[in-house]
Amino acid sequence: MTLTRKNGLLYLAILAGLIVLPSFISTKYYIHLSVLALIWVIVAQGQNLIQGFTGYVSIAQAGFMGIGAYGTALLGLNFGLPVWLTILSAPLITALFALVAGYPSLRVKGHYFAIVTLAFNMVIFIVLLNLTDLTNGEAGLMGIPKPGAGKDGAINFADRTTYYYFVLIAATGVTALTALIVNSRLGRVLVAIRQNETLVGAAGLAAWKYKLFAFVVSAMFAGFAGALYAHYQSFINPEIFTIAQSMDAVLAVILGGSGTITGPIIGAFAIVFLPEYLRFADSFRLVIYGLILILATIFMPRGIVGLASDALGLLKKRRAR
Amino acid sequence: MKRRSTIGAGLAAAVLAASTSLAGAAEKDLVVGVSDALTGPAAVYGVPQARAVELAAEEVNAAGGIRLGEDTYKITVLSYDDKANPTEASNSVRKLIDRDGARFLLGFCCSGATGAVASFIQNEDAVMLVGNAAERSITTRGIDNLVRTRPPADYTGAAAGTFVASKGHKRVAVIGALETSFYAMYVDAFEREFVKGGGEIVTREAFGLKDRDMSPQLTKIRALEPDALLVVGYVEPAAFVYRQSVELGLDVPRYGFTSGSEEQFLRVASSEQMEGVWDLRPTELTLQSTGETGRAYHENFTARFGVQPSPSSPYAYDQLYALRDAILKAGTVEDAAAVAKALRELPVPKEAVMQYIPIDGRMFDGNGQAYTTNGAFQWQDGAWVFVQELPSVAEDYSRFLSSIDG
Repeated sequence: MTLTRKNGLLYLAILAGLIVLPSFISTKYYIHLSVLALIWVIVAQGQNLIQGFTGYVSIAQAGFMGIGAYGTALLGLNFGLPVWLTILSAPLITALFALVAGYPSLRVKGHYFAIVTLAFNMVIFIVLLNLTDLTNGEAGLMGIPKPGAGKDGAINFADRTTYYYFVLIAATGVTALTALIVNSRLGRVLVAIRQNETLVGAAGLAAWKYKLFAFVVSAMFAGFAGALYAHYQSFINPEIFTIAQSMDAVLAVILGGSGTITGPIIGAFAIVFLPEYLRFADSFRLVIYGLILILATIFMPRGIVGLASDALGLLKKRRAR
Repeated sequence: MKRRSTIGAGLAAAVLAASTSLAGAAEKDLVVGVSDALTGPAAVYGVPQARAVELAAEEVNAAGGIRLGEDTYKITVLSYDDKANPTEASNSVRKLIDRDGARFLLGFCCSGATGAVASFIQNEDAVMLVGNAAERSITTRGIDNLVRTRPPADYTGAAAGTFVASKGHKRVAVIGALETSFYAMYVDAFEREFVKGGGEIVTREAFGLKDRDMSPQLTKIRALEPDALLVVGYVEPAAFVYRQSVELGLDVPRYGFTSGSEEQFLRVASSEQMEGVWDLRPTELTLQSTGETGRAYHENFTARFGVQPSPSSPYAYDQLYALRDAILKAGTVEDAAAVAKALRELPVPKEAVMQYIPIDGRMFDGNGQAYTTNGAFQWQDGAWVFVQELPSVAEDYSRFLSSIDG
């Protein structure tokens, strides 16, 4: 995956679209959903790094989100540290856990790796639920402060549009960082691992170091997203960080387009907006949602980005005739 | 002639006045939002609550709606499923407020989802009335625009502990959804009072809300030879515990905290397996213990929805009548802060089904918390029978609640 001029223009167009998006939204509810979607963009970019580019499906992103969310909340609530500092600490705390989890997990491949990470997510969930003295268990943590000095501060982060732009900056930064990684020598090694890990080893490269790097960076992104979520909602409990949410991260990558930069952006918006738009279907909405996901996985294996690129290719061929 | 013209003029004036009044009067729509668990394991509480709000709204509308000056408000209820999930609850409440224009939010059966909404509701131009969610911290944060109809779990747990100790039991085994904070809170308060009465908790065995086979925990409990069993959890898993305890021959008195209806329990356990089980809970709807309003509610609910109401569903029914009275007292549906203030000054509505204990003559105390009496109910011949009230001093608990910071 190389960063061409055409790709660059596409990214700029998406960014421009996201910048002007709030001016076209009259109902604040959709700003709320857009904030959640942007947080999921960060999670999905991390998922894409390990799943899409390195070829290892991790089912622990929500668990890492939880570590970041609880990390920032507990540092703020218990030690009175400034919100900015706790948000920036969250990915570092998550990285430590990911390092410990990743080193043994990456000794196994394929489905086994997926199962090990799934188990790790379950462990995180159970710890968050049962370590009640620290996490307050199922009741969760309330009153997590917003960045800045509240409504009277120079910037009012309690305002949803303001928080939208704050998260947009964060999501843009994470996406740019992902693009930098995948377009560097490091990124090419990750793609090589996905295509033929044995060959990478034969070329004298220590594949495990690269895999661990991808795993830890993906976890850091999730931890960062978790911190942004915690300060946005002002409330967290373990229910938010279950395997179901980790599966959403996997689906965001598959649905949007695995191994692309734009795919996770589209996928993240789809997994947030789709269930909400299906609310009219009442209790059938999750059935319909599931059906859409199954059909998309079967008939769009390269995701929405792949489908769009195929459609563009067909158009070009027809014009050439 | 003069008299006739005077009468005619009077009539004309009256007709004119009436027509002017009619022209000024308007029937308006008042959107009331319900966010509750309509699917998933917690739907056993959420669905009856949503239906209870619907029933109350239909009754208020049938009685002419809410009259404010020349305007009459007819209530439209919009219900969204929050699946007892915090993110889903935030989304549905944001949707109700931002998109549907709802200022008054009812329902809320489950603590996690309710806590998520409570964390931001203070910044919204809305009033939140919490129902069945029993986690204590919901009403300890000083949120002005939030009230709750159900008392916190530890208020009832303490009364239950005293009651079980008074029965002469010394060794009680606990089995329950102890990962759920309000159940753990109930058991903590139970233990405090039970130990004061000379008893001890011999074990605390946990099960998940979706678990159905509790025989490993019950086998362990049987080996400990307790005097009695305390079961805390959602209706379905609790019913499985009762059933499996009989199947395993655990022949000890069984106490519980579940708030399930007969119909809900009989889906899982037989009446024989339930015989003698105690439910120690707020004095919720049970036909033997309720008054005239409760019996009417039971009848109307059953006729309207084809199923019996769950015992805890009136928490939501009473929310709507409290809201109606608060709107009438505040004289506005536009000013949410005025309605929230009026709620805390209200006496108990005459239509209320639950048996509330007013604090200083008001339904809600300074924390926005309402209290009911607690009761001991026993399963006898296929039905819950109210046996006695449990000792509960609402004023003391209210003072204790006020002393908690956050």
